[in-house]
Amino acid sequence: MFESLLNALPVALQLGSLVSLVVGTLIGILIGALPGLNPVMAIALMLPLTYGFDPIIALGLVAGIYNGSMYGGSIPAILLNIPGTPAAIATTFDGYPMTRKGQGGLALKTACWSSAIGGIVSALALMMLAPMLAKVTLAFGPSEYFWVALFGLVSIAVLVGKDISKGMLSALLGVIIGLVGVDAISGAERYTFGTLYLVGGFELLIVLIGLYAVPPVLEMAEKRNESYFNADSFRVTAGDGSLGLVRRYWRTWTRSSVIGVCVGILPGAGGNLAALLSYNEAKRRAPDPETFGTGNPVGVAAAESGNSADNASAMIPSLTLGIPGNLIAALVLGALMIHGLQPGPQLFTRSPDVVFGFMWQLLLTAMLLLLLGGMVATRLFAQILRMPTALLVPTTLVLMAIGIYTVNGNVTDLYVMLAFGLVGYLLNRLAFPLAPVVLGVLLGPMAEQNLRLSMLISQNDWTVLFTRPISLGIIALLAAVLLSQLWKALRQRRRLSEA
Amino acid sequence: MKATLLFTAAAISAAAFTPVMASDYPNRPIEIIVPAPAGGGTDNVARMLNQYLEQELGQPAAVLNIAGGGGAIGVNQLARSRPDGYTLLSTWNSPITTVPHMQRVQYSYETLTPITSTSQSAYTLCVSPDFPAENAEEFLAELQANPGQYTYGNDGVGGTMRLAAERIFDAFDITARPIPFGGAGETLQNFLGGHVDIYGGSITPVLPYVEDDQTKCLLVTSADDNEALPQASGLAALGHPELETVLWRMMLGPEGMDEERAEVVADAVARAVEHPEFRDFLTAQGETLNLVRGEELRDRLRLETEAIGETLESLGLKQH
Repeated sequence: MFESLLNALPVALQLGSLVSLVVGTLIGILIGALPGLNPVMAIALMLPLTYGFDPIIALGLVAGIYNGSMYGGSIPAILLNIPGTPAAIATTFDGYPMTRKGQGGLALKTACWSSAIGGIVSALALMMLAPMLAKVTLAFGPSEYFWVALFGLVSIAVLVGKDISKGMLSALLGVIIGLVGVDAISGAERYTFGTLYLVGGFELLIVLIGLYAVPPVLEMAEKRNESYFNADSFRVTAGDGSLGLVRRYWRTWTRSSVIGVCVGILPGAGGNLAALLSYNEAKRRAPDPETFGTGNPVGVAAAESGNSADNASAMIPSLTLGIPGNLIAALVLGALMIHGLQPGPQLFTRSPDVVFGFMWQLLLTAMLLLLLGGMVATRLFAQILRMPTALLVPTTLVLMAIGIYTVNGNVTDLYVMLAFGLVGYLLNRLAFPLAPVVLGVLLGPMAEQNLRLSMLISQNDWTVLFTRPISLGIIALLAAVLLSQLWKALRQRRRLSEA
Repeated sequence: MKATLLFTAAAISAAAFTPVMASDYPNRPIEIIVPAPAGGGTDNVARMLNQYLEQELGQPAAVLNIAGGGGAIGVNQLARSRPDGYTLLSTWNSPITTVPHMQRVQYSYETLTPITSTSQSAYTLCVSPDFPAENAEEFLAELQANPGQYTYGNDGVGGTMRLAAERIFDAFDITARPIPFGGAGETLQNFLGGHVDIYGGSITPVLPYVEDDQTKCLLVTSADDNEALPQASGLAALGHPELETVLWRMMLGPEGMDEERAEVVADAVARAVEHPEFRDFLTAQGETLNLVRGEELRDRLRLETEAIGETLESLGLKQH
C-alpha cells in the first residue's frame, strides 16, 4: 500500500495537477468567502468542464475547492460575523469579537493555520487509515447515529453558557424548524400548511444563512454612522510568529483534528457538527472558559481545525466503500464513474494512481492554504473592512441573495432567507443564543429519524439502544461530559457559598 | 411589478415576431428545467445529454435546476411556461407518476406534452452471501415462508424503489419490513454493516460487492435480466413482466406544445444519444438507452401512474 502511495506522488505533482490545485484552492477560498455560494454548487458546475481531461485534473480542482472553501468560510465569519459556509458558524463565536478588539489579522492567521493543520491531519488519516476507518463507518447503524446526535444535542448544555433556559428554548426552536416537511418514515406531512414549498422542509443552508448572515448586516446598517471597526484590526503584533502559533495551539489542533476526522467518517454528520463539537471541547478543557465568545483565539483554532479535519476523512467511506459521506464526496464518485473508474473496494487496487493521487492532492491543497490563504487571500479580503458601511451592507445582501437563489432557482427561498434573518435579528436582540438553534435544526431530525429507524428494525425492542458496544461507548462519553459539567457547577457553587 | 410588466411586454412582442413554423425551430436558446439540484444523478445525465443535444439542435440549451417538492416545483414551473418549445423539462419518472398521488400539483401526464424518454436503470434486491437462497425463486420463497421477518432498506416512503419492491411483494404474497433510508448510499452502508437484511436500491453502488462475492443480487425490477448481475432474474423470467418498475428519464414540454417541435427535439435526442461518449457515460451510470416518444410515451406514463396509484393506495400512502 505504501508503495502505491509513493508511486502516486509524481502523479499529484505533475504540472496539470498543480495548476488545477492552485486554481481550485483560489476558487474555493472565494466561494467560501461569499456567503450563500457553496462549494457543492461550484464543483457541480465545474466538473462537466473537466470531463475531457485526465481525471487527476478534475480531482485536483475538487480537492482545491473543497479545502479552500472550508478556510474561505472563516474570512467573512471573522471580519463581518457572517459565516461564509455553514461550517464556519463556530468560527464567528470568537473570530468576530477578535476583529472588534482589533485582532482581525491574528484571527485570520489563526484560522488559516488551523484549517491547514486540520486538512493535513485529515489527509494523512485518509492515506494511512482509510481501510480501517471504513470498517468503523459500517459499524455505525441507526442506534449508534441516534446516540451521536444525542451527544451533539447534549453539548448544547455546554454551549449555551449563562442562561440555560434561553439556550434550551433556542434549541427547541431549531428542532421545530427541523421538523417541517414530509416525515421520512411515515410519509406524513408536518407543519406544511398545505403548501408545496414546505413539503421538502427548510433547506439547511437557507435557514443558516438567514439566521446567521442577515442579522449582522442589519446591525451594521444600524451603526452606519459610528466607526464600526477598529482601525488597528490588521496589525499582526510581534510575537505572533508562526512558530508561536504552533506552540500555543498544538493541543487544540490535535484534539479538534481527531474530532473532525471521527465526524468525517460518519456519512451525513458534516463539517458544522465537527466545528461545533471541537469548539465545545476546547471550551470545556480551557482554564478560562468564560473568555470563550469574547475573542479567545483558541476558539477560532478549534473551530477551523475541526471543520477542515472533517474534509478528507469524509472521503474515506466514499473512496473505500463507494458510500458518499457528503454531497461533495458524491460528486467525486460521479466524476470517477464518468472516467470509467468504479468506486468501491477494488478502486485501490485497480486505479491506485488516481485514488492515492487524489489523497496527495488533498494533502497538497491543505498546505497550499498556508501560502494562498495567508499571503494572498487574507490581505485581499482584509480590505473589505475599509469599505464604507453604506456600500458594504447592500453588497453583502446582494451577494447572499445571489448565492441562495442559485441553490434551487426559487425566488421563495429569498423571502424565506429574509424571514429567518428577521427571526435571527429578534433572537439576537432578546439575547437568545443562535448556536443551539443550529444544533436543533441539524441534530433534532437526525436523532428522531435514527431512533425510529432502529425501532423499526428491532420491532420496538428498545434494548438495542443499550446493548451494542459502540452505543455504550458513546453513552459513556455522554455521561462523562454531563457529569464533568455538573461537577464544575457544584464546585463553583460551593466556592461561591464559602466566599 | 414594473419588471414583471416589462418582462411580459418583451415576451409578448417576442412571441408576435416569432413565426410559428417548425422549420426554423429552434432559432434562439432553449431553457431546460431539471427539477433536481445540481450534482445529482438526474442533473448529471441531463447536463451530459445537453452537451450533445446543443450540437444537434444548433442552439445553446441552458440547464436550470429547480429543486424541491420531490421534483414537483420544477415541473409546476414548466407546466406554467409558454408552450413554444423554448422551455423544456428533463426529468425522471417519479415527479410525473408518483408525486401527483401524494401532493397537490398543477400538472399531470395527461396535460404535459410527451417528447421522448431517454434512458432507464432497474433497481435490485441483494442479500448477504449466507442468505438461504441462490436465485430469485428461492429468494421469494424464503420471504414468503417468513412473513415480517426480513428487513429491506429502500430509498424512502413513496420512493420509486420501495414501490417497485412492494409491487413485487404484493404479487407474490410477501410481507417484508421496509426500512426507509435517504438513498442508495445510506442503504448500502446499513446493508454492508449488517443493520438490514436486504439491500434495495440502484445497481451501480452495489456492483463492486457482487464482484467481491460479499453480496449476491437475486432480483432486478426490470422485465429483462441484467447483464451485470448474472445471478439475478428479471420479472419476465418470473412470469410477471407487467410488474416492471424502473427509474427512467424523459423530456417533456408544457401543455399545448406544437407537435412538430416536439418531433424536432425527439429527433435531436435520438441523434445525440448516438455519441459514443454519451453511451460510455450511460454504461458507467448503469443505465441503458430507451427511446419511446409521443403518444406511446404518454401511454407508458399512464400505465405507470395507474399502477403506482394502486400500490400507494394499498400501502395507505395515496393522498390525491
